[in-house]
Amino acid sequence: MKKAVLVFSLIVFANALFAQTKTTTSATVAFDATTALDALPKAENKTVIAEIDTQTGQIGFEAAVKNFTFSKPTIQAHFNEERWLNSNKYPAFTFMGKISEVTKYNFSNNGIYNVTVMGQLTIKDKTNFITTPATIEVKNGVLFATASFTIALADYGIQVGSSGKIAGEPKITVSAELK
Amino acid sequence: MGWIKKALIALLSVFLLGGLAVWYLINENFEDTTLTKSSFTVNAQELINAFQDNDSLANSTYQEQLITVHGRITETEAADSTVNIKFVDPITGSYLIFAFQTQHVSDAKILAAGDSVAIKASCSGNIFSQLRKAHMISFKRAVLVEKFKT
Repeated sequence: MKKAVLVFSLIVFANALFAQTKTTTSATVAFDATTALDALPKAENKTVIAEIDTQTGQIGFEAAVKNFTFSKPTIQAHFNEERWLNSNKYPAFTFMGKISEVTKYNFSNNGIYNVTVMGQLTIKDKTNFITTPATIEVKNGVLFATASFTIALADYGIQVGSSGKIAGEPKITVSAELK
Repeated sequence: MGWIKKALIALLSVFLLGGLAVWYLINENFEDTTLTKSSFTVNAQELINAFQDNDSLANSTYQEQLITVHGRITETEAADSTVNIKFVDPITGSYLIFAFQTQHVSDAKILAAGDSVAIKASCSGNIFSQLRKAHMISFKRAVLVEKFKT
């Protein structure tokens, strides 16, 4: 009986360690639209859902727009208002994509893998194709993923105006610890 | 000469108003959540149920409100250099997730699954996750109100 319990426990542990879908609900996405004229428009969201299937390379991210936190209440209110992200009508950002040439990588081995991620980013119901380099570090079955890229706000129907206070192509930084 | 004086006064007023607006924006900050009164005090599972039963109604009631939530922590999860606190519905997988206010992150780090707590935070409302097929109800600027002895 003891042996059976031990074997069962080992199987469960091994499955958890080497499961092909790694997930978290606490990925971080940072948004930086600062310019030389204004250091305020930047925010981060630490409650982003992320999933990576290490076999197929499928990747997904989902973020609640309203959970981006700014240091200034006024800037946060602007970010959510209708002419910006309109978070009442469009409450989520999503990214659905995949790791390019995933068969080249063996994520069951510890190591640092420099990969290319491509997929569809949807903001305000507008979807655009993006490609970005990303790094995935594997440590004992846990994936530490990071990526950094820019997006053109105009592609998502967001006009920043000509004041020069908000970058038209903000930097997006993603980091996630997936188990 | 009179019109020059008027123009100078108008210009000065514009600069003063602009300066005031910039000063306000630079000095404006979110108040420490511990110092702010919550609008609602609810049980974690009851709050999840409210969003699962009628998310439009729950969003209009709780979104952007400070809420004190009581419950037993299901999970703590690393979030960059901080820790998030979760209460999960064991049947549906829907959950509440709390990201702590910067100056209170150390409080989150001492918490563990199974702890009975009261947490106060600003509710960002709910999204239905297509990845997890469950409701995610997120909170920002969270603080620990109390950790109960069990």
